[in-house]
Amino acid sequence: MQQAVSLSADASRGPEPGGSASGAIRRGSSSGVLGDAIFAGACRAAGVFVLLLLGAIILQLFLGGLDAFRAFGLGFVTGTDWDPVQEVFGAGVSIYGTVVTAVLALVIAVPVAFGIAFYLTELAPEWLRRPVGTAIELLAAVPSIIYGMWGFFLIVPFMSMHLQPLIIDTIGTLPVIGELFAGPPFGTGILTAALILAIMVLPFIAATMRDVFLTVPPVFKESAYGLGCTQWEVVRNVVLPYTRVSVVGGIMLGLGRALGETMAVTFVIGNANRISTSLFGPGNTIASVVALEFGEATMGSLKLSALLGLGFILFVISFIVLSISRLLLRQRLKG
Amino acid sequence: MGDSMTKANASAAPQQAGLHARSNAALNEPRIAVRGLDFFYGSNKALKNLDFDLPERQVTGMIGPSGCGKSTLLRVLNRMYSLYPGQRATGQVLMDGQNILDDSTDINALRSRIGMVFQKPTPFPMTIYENIAFGIRLHEKLSKSQMDERVEWALTRAAIWGEVKDRLNSSAMGLSGGQQQRLCIARTIAVRPEVILLDEPTSALDPISTLRIEELIDELKRDFTIAIVTHNMQQAARCADQVAFFYLGELVEVAPAEQMFTAPKQKRTQEYITGRFG
Amino acid sequence: MSATTLHPASGPAKDLRVAAALGRRRRATTTVIKVACYAATAIGLLLLLSILGTLVWNGGSAISLRVFTDVTKPPGSDGGLLNPIIGSLIQTSIGTLIGTPIGLLVGTYLAEYAKSSPLANAVRFVSDILLSAPSILIGLFVYQSLVVPMGGFSGWAGCAALAIIVIPVVVRTTEDMLRLLPDTLREAVIALGAPKWKMITLVCWRAAASGIVTGVLLAVARVAGETAPLLFTSLGNLNWSLSLGAPMSSLPITIYSYAGSPYPDWIALAWAGALIITLGVLGLNIVARSLLRGRK
Repeated sequence: MQQAVSLSADASRGPEPGGSASGAIRRGSSSGVLGDAIFAGACRAAGVFVLLLLGAIILQLFLGGLDAFRAFGLGFVTGTDWDPVQEVFGAGVSIYGTVVTAVLALVIAVPVAFGIAFYLTELAPEWLRRPVGTAIELLAAVPSIIYGMWGFFLIVPFMSMHLQPLIIDTIGTLPVIGELFAGPPFGTGILTAALILAIMVLPFIAATMRDVFLTVPPVFKESAYGLGCTQWEVVRNVVLPYTRVSVVGGIMLGLGRALGETMAVTFVIGNANRISTSLFGPGNTIASVVALEFGEATMGSLKLSALLGLGFILFVISFIVLSISRLLLRQRLKG
Repeated sequence: MGDSMTKANASAAPQQAGLHARSNAALNEPRIAVRGLDFFYGSNKALKNLDFDLPERQVTGMIGPSGCGKSTLLRVLNRMYSLYPGQRATGQVLMDGQNILDDSTDINALRSRIGMVFQKPTPFPMTIYENIAFGIRLHEKLSKSQMDERVEWALTRAAIWGEVKDRLNSSAMGLSGGQQQRLCIARTIAVRPEVILLDEPTSALDPISTLRIEELIDELKRDFTIAIVTHNMQQAARCADQVAFFYLGELVEVAPAEQMFTAPKQKRTQEYITGRFG
Repeated sequence: MSATTLHPASGPAKDLRVAAALGRRRRATTTVIKVACYAATAIGLLLLLSILGTLVWNGGSAISLRVFTDVTKPPGSDGGLLNPIIGSLIQTSIGTLIGTPIGLLVGTYLAEYAKSSPLANAVRFVSDILLSAPSILIGLFVYQSLVVPMGGFSGWAGCAALAIIVIPVVVRTTEDMLRLLPDTLREAVIALGAPKWKMITLVCWRAAASGIVTGVLLAVARVAGETAPLLFTSLGNLNWSLSLGAPMSSLPITIYSYAGSPYPDWIALAWAGALIITLGVLGLNIVARSLLRGRK
């Protein structure tokens, strides 16, 4: 495009020696130069605006949380008390809940997402690939609040009446591991939240995996088939090693989504500020605490500052995870 | 199994006993016989009623203009086309009296008997050693020392052992194009197929690498039946024992190499060889 | 067997029984994994069906003309969802109208001007981060930047939050679509003597129009269902109000508060709202996708 700019600049200069008759051409062209300058400036300004926007978000959240950071110091991150009455605020429990639910969600979602991606790239008959692929992508488009309602009215009763009693009777009787599944089957809790999160990030991870699997040149797969490989062996030994970096990128993208998910988690996590050893126990996440308690915080209060501080922490975590994801994904999807 | 394998090397004692027993007389019989083969991409007929033989332990060169069906034929021989819906073959491709186009054919086993090397080098994203061992493990159970030996053998046969023996554990992606292609040939022969299909194996390589691959082909035909698709007439003349000329999905002429390039019977063959079209 | 490997060069024969046994095991493994993958895909499809089924089942019975004609009322008095629907339409429209031009310019900047300069790489990176950043944080940001200075929740704040979410979606698709255009097209326009800005606005944008529209539709679909960023901005309003300066009702917020209430008729209305919003969002997605496909 550099040439393009200089081309039009040349055109505006060109007619000058020609003299009078070139007036109309010159006027047209110089308005082109002015138009170019204005338009390029507008585009560039919009780009800079996006940069400033992110900077402003970080700054506003940090400044908003400053009172809380000052009041509690490092204890704001490590503290496990969240007591609006005593005005003691620590983010420890919600950070724990955020990380545990998100990681657990990935543990559930990644194998399923891989299965779907494998199906869509190698196993499905041609005519089924598009409709099934679209259906999975639509799953990603369903709003978070809908997952929340669906989870609250369908999954929570299912958990408490079927899945949790089943787990308690089987895995729950084992030593040590059983601890993870102790307690009454309320239906809500960390595990249910992780399950809903898993369902929500599933389509993102599956779609990314499918896209990167498709970047493997067919001739590589053919040469593996040519040695006598089965479909699974081709995927395991050629496709996965080939796309390893981007697959991790896709998983990180899912993690980034899971960390900041708000509405669905708020519906099903049980919302209690404590760390329980059992996955059936209630908990909270940064996003759910902010969503639930914001209404009770008055402007200028320490609680509001603590909530904004929570937001800042969530932003930092998400920023790191999403940055890693982008760096890993860029390489292949560009190439 | 042991008996057939105890002889020192294949060129010294061509007669074999055992699972692949073939008498001396049978040596002149084709390793693969194609009979009445039609091939379709969807409704488009790409190969028309082919009858064609790959003679045992000879190099068959396949020439013809782009789109004439020579690569398609290669992809029929190891059923590579089965990967793609809409592609189908009818007729017979006989190997040891069995029609490999039958649905009952074990495709994976078939591909262990008929290896293929592609136009572009296709090293897998793993170490040089693993690239070779990978294919062997699919079909055989070998101890560590047996595997080491086999890998060395395959790399030696592919004339690349000397260049890679000190870096077997580094990534195969770091090799040059010519080395990668010889690695792919090593990977193919490591499985010890009976037939090797080469789809324009040197078209992406420089002249020196090309020469080495051609020498290699000459060496390999002592043990393997080879089919090579090539655009390069000189290459066909240098490497092949018999040459087949394809045009518009038909087999126009097949003849010993000297005869094909000195006295072709068909007018179209002559025109193509002398460069009047294609 | 040992003879085989002592003299591997001895010939192309191998132990076919071992190979066959290995082959059976390998095929069995592959079959097990394939079945697992079929199951995974079935699970994915069943989840979508379950969500849609639940919505149609619960929402379908709750939906009636009243939902679209009556405003929200206290429990037990036959209210509708008119003001949340209108509020959502207003905020989504204005948010899209603000966010789209900015996103379009940024995408154009990335594809036509800066390409891979350091500034462009930074903008692209930041835009991608914003695309996936937790939307609740956008809400907090707008609260701090608009709600606090303006002294209260307002429809405008809701629009601003949604606009921020629209921008990166439009940036992504605009850049991708412009990059798909062949350079020969640009050269042909420049060769006619057109200035660059005319080349972009009159030819490139037009050539990439269906792709860009797809991006905008996807952005609309995305923000129409957003709840978290509205919690601290437009807040929600159970009374009829079209003023953008006051708290404004929206469908997602109303669903959120109704679904968590103890009143059966409010919960039924929440289902009705959920059905409306999901059909709208998925419909927009399908339209956007088919637009893109028609282009290819």
